[in-house]
Amino acid sequence: MGSQNIQDAIVQFAPLDKLISLGRANSLWPMTFGLACCAIEMMATGASRFDLARFGAEVFRPSPRQCDVMIVAGTISKKMAPAVQTLYDQMPEPKWVIAMGNCAISGGPFVFEGQYGIVEGADQLFPVDVYIPGCPPRPEALIEGILELEEKITGSRRKSWPRVEAG
Amino acid sequence: MADQSVLDLLYVAAFFLGGLGFSAVPFIIVFFLAPRKTRNYIDKTSQSIECGMVPIGDAWIRFGIVYYLYALIFLAFDVDVLFLFPVAMAYNDTFAVRDFVELIIFVGILSLAILYAWKKGVFRWDRKIYKTQ
Repeated sequence: MGSQNIQDAIVQFAPLDKLISLGRANSLWPMTFGLACCAIEMMATGASRFDLARFGAEVFRPSPRQCDVMIVAGTISKKMAPAVQTLYDQMPEPKWVIAMGNCAISGGPFVFEGQYGIVEGADQLFPVDVYIPGCPPRPEALIEGILELEEKITGSRRKSWPRVEAG
Repeated sequence: MADQSVLDLLYVAAFFLGGLGFSAVPFIIVFFLAPRKTRNYIDKTSQSIECGMVPIGDAWIRFGIVYYLYALIFLAFDVDVLFLFPVAMAYNDTFAVRDFVELIIFVGILSLAILYAWKKGVFRWDRKIYKTQ
């Protein structure tokens, strides 16, 4: 079943790693990959009104081999699951996964006793780094998810960017 | 003078090595700094198709090469036109019988391809059935 642990680099040098992670965080390349209606919000996020380019994450790549982030935008049906896993496998390290929307988090509205067609959450397939709730989440929420991922990568919040408290 | 040319060669060599370095060093840096392996869950990391679907069969299959007939016809007319353009540009400058004869020979030889295609039945509009092996 392949290797499921992160394998470290040959050379590890803490200040350099911090620098590299800063670079990675500020140029996250998501995959052009939508499974359901959340993908519409993802498109809106990438377009000019919400402008994901402000955070360096606008380069949606059509090939998993060029991607850093897989945004699982939508319901993963059981028939689609092998394809999603294949794409995850083909992404080179370092790679992160954002589960966007309730379907990708837990199966969302499709979970009921005896359901047979839906994978109940992307984390059933592979590790997920950031969960964005919503049905679908607004583009701002996806941007916040990207920022959370940046924070996970670098260890600190993007400079001078406010953190909005839920309330 | 010889020193100057040696110096020039050195410049070229330096720039060549610099270019080589610019293309090679990133690979070396990445080799040391990138994570050794990518995580995989269903062993599809090396699958060549990048759309998630399992490829059906092999890309190296045999198929009927019927398109060569069109290529042949294209070549016959295209080469005609291509080489007749310069002739047309220069033709009227000085008219000579020799030019005319050469033109006739050239077009005549190329016309043989059309005759060949004619013989092969390219111009007949009926369904061709080829046995695939």
